[in-house]
Amino acid sequence: MRERTPPGVPTQSDAFEAYVLPEVDVLLRVARGLVDRPADAEDLVQDTLLRAYRAIGRFDGRHPRAWLLTIMRNAHINAHRRRRPELLRDPDLHPEQPTDAADAEIPDRFIDLTFDTEVERALRELPDTFRQVIDLVDIAGLTYAEAAHTLAIPAGTVMSRLHRARRRIRDHLDQVGIAPRERT
Amino acid sequence: MNIFCLRHRAMGCAEVGRILQNYLDGDLDDRRSARLRAHLDDCRRCGMEVDTYTQIKTCLARRSADLPADAVARLRAFGQHLAVPAPPEAS
Repeated sequence: MRERTPPGVPTQSDAFEAYVLPEVDVLLRVARGLVDRPADAEDLVQDTLLRAYRAIGRFDGRHPRAWLLTIMRNAHINAHRRRRPELLRDPDLHPEQPTDAADAEIPDRFIDLTFDTEVERALRELPDTFRQVIDLVDIAGLTYAEAAHTLAIPAGTVMSRLHRARRRIRDHLDQVGIAPRERT
Repeated sequence: MNIFCLRHRAMGCAEVGRILQNYLDGDLDDRRSARLRAHLDDCRRCGMEVDTYTQIKTCLARRSADLPADAVARLRAFGQHLAVPAPPEAS
């Protein structure tokens, strides 16, 4: 329900429209990096919008994106902590073993050796925590700091994972003969 | 050491390899960026590495345009509804 406020004083709805609605696209991009299913991403954004609306009266108007990413992070943790405990594993502490599971889904003879297809394939083979930073920085367009804020990890860890993730993609391209191979 | 880079004592291929991604992310100061670019002017191998990473970043960025329009529209409508709830129906 729209609240009553004195004339000239921004309402809760005004603040929501000014600070939150312009970020819907970014929120959906980030959500798609945090969860696997598109429907779950949409649910996560809806949950974030609801929480933001309830909390907008306490928001000081500074750094709305960071504020919204914090809300989304908390909503995501609440929704997925019990369902996806493996997301909380730190690959820096628990390096994942290579798996053939992703390969098994793709018949080798039908691979389209185009650049985008192979980048997509390499992306799917990344550990979740590596793919998350790619999703947040390279796809959603967040800064290192914003991604760090979203994932509640240091910016240096974001950068490290991002660089290692891209290196894996680059190595995959090399393996399938797309990346430059010049060696002297 | 790449033979193309022997004369770049100020910045060699190994150093370029370490900071290449920072450069592409705009995370290097002007001085180091200029030294890196000077290296790239003459080092074919590092230039190809830059091209490869640039293509990877460009390819990934293209995916950001893949937001489903219907989902965006639904979420915007949901947000608008929160901000401006529909007036009660007249009885």
